[in-house]
Amino acid sequence: MAETAHAEPPLIAGEAVRIGDDGRPTLIGSECADCAARVFPPVALCPECMGEDIRPLALGRSGRLYSYSTVHVAPRGWTVPYVAGYVDLPEGVRVFTHVVDADDHRLSMEMEVELTIAVLGSDGGGRALSSYAFRPRGMEEADA
Amino acid sequence: MREVSVIGAGMVRFAKQPDRTLAEIAWPAVKQAIDDSGVDKRNIEAAWCGTALGGMMSGQRVLKAIGLTGLPIVNVENACSSSSSAFREAWVAVAAGLYDIALVIGVEKLTRFGGGTLPLETEDFEVAHGMVMPALYGMRAKRYMHDYGLTGEQLAGVAVKAHEHGALNEDAQYRNRITVEEVMAARPIADPFTLLHCCPSGDGAAALVIAADTVAARHTAKPVRVRASELASGRYMTGFRDMTTPEITVRGAAEAYEMAGLGPEDIDVAEVHDAFTIAELLYYEALGFCARGDAAGLLEDGETSLGGRIPVNPSGGLLSKGHPVGATGAAQMVEIVRQLRGACGARQVEGAKVGLTHCTGGGISGFDHGACSIHIFSN
Repeated sequence: MAETAHAEPPLIAGEAVRIGDDGRPTLIGSECADCAARVFPPVALCPECMGEDIRPLALGRSGRLYSYSTVHVAPRGWTVPYVAGYVDLPEGVRVFTHVVDADDHRLSMEMEVELTIAVLGSDGGGRALSSYAFRPRGMEEADA
Repeated sequence: MREVSVIGAGMVRFAKQPDRTLAEIAWPAVKQAIDDSGVDKRNIEAAWCGTALGGMMSGQRVLKAIGLTGLPIVNVENACSSSSSAFREAWVAVAAGLYDIALVIGVEKLTRFGGGTLPLETEDFEVAHGMVMPALYGMRAKRYMHDYGLTGEQLAGVAVKAHEHGALNEDAQYRNRITVEEVMAARPIADPFTLLHCCPSGDGAAALVIAADTVAARHTAKPVRVRASELASGRYMTGFRDMTTPEITVRGAAEAYEMAGLGPEDIDVAEVHDAFTIAELLYYEALGFCARGDAAGLLEDGETSLGGRIPVNPSGGLLSKGHPVGATGAAQMVEIVRQLRGACGARQVEGAKVGLTHCTGGGISGFDHGACSIHIFSN
């Protein structure tokens, strides 16, 4: 298996995020083979039908921002301020996320956002704490 | 099921009391409720103590202070709904005929955690990723503002009204009046909230003595009848949800109104769970006090202020009276009992005959809220 080029592996999302060989992240949910229920983060038991035949579900990398809030006061470890948001993905699941690369004023309801990896804070030992996050889609082009 | 009434109510002023133990905070409220009921403490047959973060054996720690031990004591944790859930369990036991007289306690000491946001369960996926209660309510607020055109000034008006009422309540943590400008200019917590959009952290306790109606008449000429006692858990949803309407409250309100044989038009006064300004507006709609999208108008027209059609949170609510989490549900009931007895002085809702309490909370992913308990009382 090829080495991933990623310098800062996600520390806090566990099995809910997978880094591909190209270094790009994918969120992993679950799909129930019995009732087709879709869940994020992944589960071992279907919360709809109690089925145990659960398959990993790779989720789309972009979605729509349902709502967001710039957080100024948070438990120790998080770099504040940060933007908390909910993103609705095409598979029908809603994901809680940090929204990065945009301040509050550049965000809007239902805007298109895309998955990325970001440093979100640090642990007690000063090590970077990173996880999946979303950012406005096409931000880099817009900045250029 | 038997009819059940509240015959005693007591609470201590909500405040930061870091130097007092949980029991020292709570016993004055419990003693006040028992004294108010006229019941000999030895006739209390069982007790339920609601606390979210009080720790093990909270009820026993409190009740040993007043020498009420040996009876069944049940400690109830249901986040913000802990003591309203405790009341519900006590009501079930008395209504079912198991006991004639029972005690309900709500107590919390949040100063033990220092300041900042309420500590949440870190095993929860969203909490582990930085969810805090102000952000959750902040996202509700932002979406509601987007969907219904609510302005920041209108939202700040909720806090202004809360403090107008709280200024009249000697049990309130904050008794200062504030302006829209002061709310808007306070330090930011989670957009669109400043500090004054958020309920304060603090300590406190409240207690109630309830009795079967047959027994209640022996102790008081003014029993306050429990017309509905409702408890719901949130529905876990894996997909999209409309965050501008709290499904758990909508569902719970329908159940409570049905149990009471009453509707929102019958409510004279209500204490609702205004943990953040947006919450009170969402609950106007969820409880049926106005139609979807009309909450800001109801507030601006003064209908939910003292003197209005349906005064909400005459106590000052969580925003002004304070929110020692596990004590809140019982404290709401103490306020409604006092309102229905006509004992609220400057903040009395004239002629109040039917009152409602609504207590909901619990920040866990996939739920609107973890728990919600709604009660309806009449005099």
